[in-house]
Amino acid sequence: MFYISAASSITHQPTFKNAGFSASLHELTEDSELISPNYKDYIDAALLRRMSKILRMSVACAKTCLEEAEISQPDSIVVGTGLGCLQDTEKFLGTFLTIEGLLPPTSFIQSTHNTIAGQISLSIGNHGYNMTHTQNTLSFEHALIDSMLLLSEDNDHVLVGAADEYIEILDKIQQDLHLPLSGKLSSGASFFMLSKERSANSLAGISAVETIGLVEDIQTEIQRFLTEQNIRSSDLDMVLFPGFELGTSGIILDYFINNEVEIDRIVDYLQFSGIYPTTSAFAMHYAIDRLGQDENLKNILVCNCLNSKNLGLTLIQSLEA
Amino acid sequence: MSVRITGIGVVSAIGLSVKENLLSLKTGKSGIGPVQYLDEKRGLLVGEVKASNQELLEYLEIKNKNISRTSQLGLAAARQALGTTGMDASIKTGIISATSVGGMDRSEDFYVDYLSGDHPDYNLLRSHDSGNTTERIAAELGISGYINTLSTACSSGVNAIMLGARLLLNGKLDRVLVGGTDALTKFTINGFRSLMIYDDQWCRPFDESRTGLNLGEGAGFLLLENEKSIALSGNKTLCYVNGWANAADAYHQTASSPDGKGATLAIQKAISLSGIDVKNISYINAHGTGTKNNDLSESVALKNVFGDQIPPFSSTKPFTGHTLAAAGAIESVFSILAITNQLIYPNLNFQNPIEGTGLVPVTSLLTNKPVKAVLSNSFGFGGNNSSIVFSSDN
Amino acid sequence: MDQLKEDLKKQIIEQLNLEDIQVSEIADDALLFNDEGLGLDSIDALELIVLLEKFHGIQVTKPEEGKEAFMSINTMADYITRRKAEQAV
Repeated sequence: MFYISAASSITHQPTFKNAGFSASLHELTEDSELISPNYKDYIDAALLRRMSKILRMSVACAKTCLEEAEISQPDSIVVGTGLGCLQDTEKFLGTFLTIEGLLPPTSFIQSTHNTIAGQISLSIGNHGYNMTHTQNTLSFEHALIDSMLLLSEDNDHVLVGAADEYIEILDKIQQDLHLPLSGKLSSGASFFMLSKERSANSLAGISAVETIGLVEDIQTEIQRFLTEQNIRSSDLDMVLFPGFELGTSGIILDYFINNEVEIDRIVDYLQFSGIYPTTSAFAMHYAIDRLGQDENLKNILVCNCLNSKNLGLTLIQSLEA
Repeated sequence: MSVRITGIGVVSAIGLSVKENLLSLKTGKSGIGPVQYLDEKRGLLVGEVKASNQELLEYLEIKNKNISRTSQLGLAAARQALGTTGMDASIKTGIISATSVGGMDRSEDFYVDYLSGDHPDYNLLRSHDSGNTTERIAAELGISGYINTLSTACSSGVNAIMLGARLLLNGKLDRVLVGGTDALTKFTINGFRSLMIYDDQWCRPFDESRTGLNLGEGAGFLLLENEKSIALSGNKTLCYVNGWANAADAYHQTASSPDGKGATLAIQKAISLSGIDVKNISYINAHGTGTKNNDLSESVALKNVFGDQIPPFSSTKPFTGHTLAAAGAIESVFSILAITNQLIYPNLNFQNPIEGTGLVPVTSLLTNKPVKAVLSNSFGFGGNNSSIVFSSDN
Repeated sequence: MDQLKEDLKKQIIEQLNLEDIQVSEIADDALLFNDEGLGLDSIDALELIVLLEKFHGIQVTKPEEGKEAFMSINTMADYITRRKAEQAV
């Protein structure tokens, strides 16, 4: 097990610098907006002026994690993003397809996926391992797997997180392709400090993460994962899953209900986060926050089936007093 | 630290197979020329893979034709690396690909029609996300389970190899295909032009007169296997990957630091992990893009690590162009071929050393030096620096 | 000339997204690339080259050419005036 010593999220919910937020969540409505802090309090003005939404959210969350974990430099920075820096990508597409002559370079520079991790390293002057995973809905889980590998090698502290940003064209794409979305498209960033050793700052433990791409039998995979962790379904105090579409979500609901998990312990986190590829990072923060609020909770499984072809499983556990 | 490499595959401007690439490297035949396949008017110099999308579809026998060029190039190289290796339920098999553009080759076509309101085909966007690029390759190869994509600009390909090696050593996987793929796009061509580092002439890495890079496209893949996997596959070991490192420069969003800090750290850590003495590095396949900034910074880093005993080095980008996320993977294949064929490749177009560093790369094919250990560098945007060491010994 | 300098300041603020800076805060002789001045960097230098083409029809083909011209608002205004005079010939 590794230890989560800080967690910070900027989302459509009051998550930022607000321990205990999980008690006051409401289902996202059409008019809900991203709840942003005053970024000038967290980011140097010279860097901030160029930053798109996804960069601002990510750097502010990353810096808050360092502060809360009382760690000035992590050994590594690992980021997951499903769609990357969409705002700058779309801006540069528009720029080079419409402007004749010289092109302003800033949006191109900031369009690459690794701008997020790069800007964090630049903001804090970090020279360690700097990685960006992008596997659509499993991007965050892949970042977690890499981070836990680093901790099992020689790292003591890894800053890991995920971010995705909403841009307007996503709504048009969804409508045109008739994607069956059950909620509002949104933005979000969640970052965590993972540490090898337990400390006074430790909030929860992370025991196992697994991704199964192009999954065939979801129920068998969940069963195998839990068996490998020596956990029975009935030991799970909470299962977090994205209530996305009835097919896959239904399979997951059926599995847990048939395996002694009461329905009120199975929570759809998508109603709180809205929809973006890396919502499982929001779910992990939600799980940590719940563990902090209720000492009866021991084992929480995040069961990410946001994309029916891909399954992500993350086991988060409370720490013994 | 060492992991067995049992398969390699490459598609680039200098060939559609390992054999073709090797022949071009030996005969000094560059793949850079005026743009031919991409719908770009300017007559730019690029390193295109010499096949249209339609030709690739037929060659690869792909049924679902809604697929990006990036996926197609990746599939071509990954199939070569996998060879006749069959899937087996008892062997945990994964794939890690790297890409910087993903399906941008199709998204930018969509966006033209979108901007003009001319019935844009939204289906083109189904292949946009980078993860899809890898999923399509995995699906064609019958790989499920650990399927991952890295995107760290120009260092991505090396990072994929590094992550695969770590997953194998950690017992998470028995067998993993690792590499990178990027198609040439208008997005990246215009991007590098906006940075004023796209050379309208043939690129000249490490030359005083260098003024920028030529973009290329392609893919490279390696098959890494542990003992358990080899016992089943019967694959021969080509050589080993012995050391790797990634370090952040944390200097500037696009430029490399003048003191080569991130690059120096990456090279030092990779060599140190390999356990190979710096004196025993036989050849360095440099990042050497041909930009003022990279080549200077990389030269300083080489001096920091090797002092005045710098091993023979060259950049192979005047052959292939800069293939971005594929570069590290393609150049890793070239590094492995350097070991298995005892070759050191020429740095084409070099005439005069950079003032201040005075480093002179290898300028003609060397066949008379033993090549046992090779260092390959890949340095990217955002100060993302990676180095990797291959050798004939474990 | 003063009008040109005033315009330049507005254009720089817009092109470089200098949200918190007012025209009145940029001195004509302040060093643009110095931390004491505006603290601009090499990406800004490229944006300034775009600005010169977009607003003033002046092409700088090599980034190095811009270095001296972009020292301060004064040097930029001088450079623009000189290049325009050359174009008129």
